Amino acid sequence: MNSNSIWIMIIGVSIVSILPRILPVALLSRYEFPAPLKRWLSLVAPAVLSSLTTLSVLAPDGFIDISINNSFIWAFIPTLLVAVKTRSLLYSLLTGIVTMALLYNFIC
Amino acid sequence: MQKQELRQGINDSIPIVLGYLPLGFAFGVLANEAGMSIIQATMMSLLCFTGAGQYIALGIMQAGGAAFTIILANALVNLRYLLFSTSLVPYLKGHVPIAIGSLLSYGLTDETYAVAMNRYQSHPPTPSYIAGLNLSSHIGWIISTLLGAALGTYITNSDRLGLSFTLPAMYICLLVFMTRSKSDIFVALSSAFLCLLIGYLVPSTMGNLFNIIIATIIAASLGMLINEQ
Repeated sequence: MNSNSIWIMIIGVSIVSILPRILPVALLSRYEFPAPLKRWLSLVAPAVLSSLTTLSVLAPDGFIDISINNSFIWAFIPTLLVAVKTRSLLYSLLTGIVTMALLYNFIC
Repeated sequence: MQKQELRQGINDSIPIVLGYLPLGFAFGVLANEAGMSIIQATMMSLLCFTGAGQYIALGIMQAGGAAFTIILANALVNLRYLLFSTSLVPYLKGHVPIAIGSLLSYGLTDETYAVAMNRYQSHPPTPSYIAGLNLSSHIGWIISTLLGAALGTYITNSDRLGLSFTLPAMYICLLVFMTRSKSDIFVALSSAFLCLLIGYLVPSTMGNLFNIIIATIIAASLGMLINEQ
């Protein structure tokens, strides 16, 4: 791909990634959503977060890998325990990162 | 501008920036290898700010694909933001002016969405908070890309530091924070199961992230049914 095509690609990608973020806030904020739709939308966040968590742990490289060789699964366990126990983002992050570093350097 | 809120937003962006560092850096390195200049790689992170989409662009470039193919693939991958952005509307309403809310939504990503939604469960959104969170995350993404594109060849494996688990760890923790009622837990488990099942049955959805969209729509709808009974 030559330099011009790359610039066209960047501008095109920019448009298609910015519009879906901005348009709903820009266009829908004028309307009052009906209560059931609001309730439905409030469930979107837990659903999205759960999908993201699942894929980031069980498919860290973009394909599903549910096996004992997937170190993300091993790091998931202590991180979840610490998150539930301490309810602290900082401790959860530290646990996850340190576990991952240990796994990478000493086991995998 | 409320300083306290701005600072809170910046504070809340720290885990995101930490997670973006290796990802943005790797994007910079790979973009260089795929034929982008340092300026192009950095501008792409500035103008697009879409991790998954930017990696897909590199994949298509390296496979010899056209610019149009990359744009189309990104249009699909970024459709999920329609859902994210729409679900933010009821929260922003009455707290953030529409024009400012729209502008700041430029910085909406999987990660800033997760952190912001978690915050809005107990605090109303403010423009300062969103600016602090979204802009510092974006700056982190841009700088790590620039560093990767410029220094890539000098730095070896960053996996040793365990930073590859930063974003998963953040998601895990936010998920724990955000699932408080039984229906939340039900929705979360359904969504997890569905996105895996869809990804397994239709592997292409793993690439365009449609499995997240479909799983979310079904799981949130199931959550409504459970609640009505």
